[in-house]
Amino acid sequence: MVRIALALLIAACVLPRTAHAGRSFYGWLYDTEVMPVRGAELDTWIQDEDDKYGTRNKETWLSWGPLVGVTDQLELGIPVELEWSDVPSATDPTARRTSFTFKRFGIEARYRLAPPDPVEAGPFVPLVRVAVKRDVIVRNVVRLEADAVGSYEAGRIHAVLDVGITGEVSPDAQHFELHPGAGISVRATTELRLGAEVYGELSLDRVVESWATAGPNLAWTHGRFWLSGVFGIGLYHVRVAPRVIWGIAF
Amino acid sequence: MRAPAIAALVAGLGASAAAQPSGRVVGTVTVTEPDGQPARATDVIVYMVGFTEPPSDKVTTIAQKGRKFVPDLVAITVNERIAFPNNDPFLHNVFSQSVPRKFDLGSFPRGETKEKDFPVAGVVDVYCNIHPEMAATILVLPNRRHTLAGADGKFTLEGVPPGDWTVFAYTRRTTRPASAKVTVKAGADATVDLAIVRGAEPAHLNKYGEKYHDTGQIYR
Repeated sequence: MVRIALALLIAACVLPRTAHAGRSFYGWLYDTEVMPVRGAELDTWIQDEDDKYGTRNKETWLSWGPLVGVTDQLELGIPVELEWSDVPSATDPTARRTSFTFKRFGIEARYRLAPPDPVEAGPFVPLVRVAVKRDVIVRNVVRLEADAVGSYEAGRIHAVLDVGITGEVSPDAQHFELHPGAGISVRATTELRLGAEVYGELSLDRVVESWATAGPNLAWTHGRFWLSGVFGIGLYHVRVAPRVIWGIAF
Repeated sequence: MRAPAIAALVAGLGASAAAQPSGRVVGTVTVTEPDGQPARATDVIVYMVGFTEPPSDKVTTIAQKGRKFVPDLVAITVNERIAFPNNDPFLHNVFSQSVPRKFDLGSFPRGETKEKDFPVAGVVDVYCNIHPEMAATILVLPNRRHTLAGADGKFTLEGVPPGDWTVFAYTRRTTRPASAKVTVKAGADATVDLAIVRGAEPAHLNKYGEKYHDTGQIYR
């Protein structure tokens, strides 16, 4: 009986999980899971970026959007982004100005360069992501995003490397950033994972400055619901940068 | 409920059957309903554990037809593949949450076929996320010595390597497989009779671990 129990325990530990809809185990990083074909999910992101560049600005972003599985390897999303900012007044140093804005909308595609089945895909899974978003406030600004993501899974441990690049392009100006990040997530229970991640937004020009954060993360999956989050502590030009994502599959 | 069968399969991952003289295992499976009434031995699979064999190249088919899996019980060898064609004029979403092989084929229409391999021995229960009445079981076995019993319960397992093995009989609606020890000698028949009690179809959850909230009428 001991041998049987041990064999079952080992099997349970090394067997990978079922692919879940577009889920990420990380707060700031994209992951490599996509939804099965004809699956649908509603995702929400909320992120804070406080005292970025030492400006005493407080920015909260909310991104919301449905995703659908077009094939077993390709999913499409239609995100809309809202921005809530609280910044010092330009004319009165003691006053602050608060605004809440519908900032952008767009479309994004995530293509998993491996079978959707974790057993067939093997431990290393790459994914590419591209997005095009239209700025609502400045109508001629288009934001382009691309990510190359790779994940590696070994037993309880899941690691991801996400290298993104963004560009905000208009007829008058352009600004590009590199968004590198990496993280590790360890399965604590069948539903809960704990880990840590590091993420940065590195300006490739002088339009804005760079910032970087790192912190502990967690991911929780329960049935059709998943949630992940990171409490990002500022490493460079930001005080705190927490981010929470959750999704509900249909 | 599947634990006895899974434990038996895992314990059976032992010796590898090399090419050698073989014998046969013959016998009869007796099936009774829970109330003691005799039942036909259709959909009973007889298999052996204790040795391993490489898989064959064949692809077994479990079709989705008339809101049923056809057949609803198959036995394959570790690392063999199963094809899941949808023959119904509406979507099905085949999935399994069984520990030996979790998968989700997504929703796919008539005419499409998806395949899965099964690299780990065990009992894999397969369902449709849209139609709760659909259920099938895959026995992923360590060797190729398995067969479907006849309607009269008689079975023959050919090409069994000599040795002391355990024979099992399994049907979907049973809480535990029937088993018996058997000694196989080269060029001889070993006889074993098995008795199995059929039960009720167990309830199951959808792929999110929830009860089915409707009967799938929206998508039919």
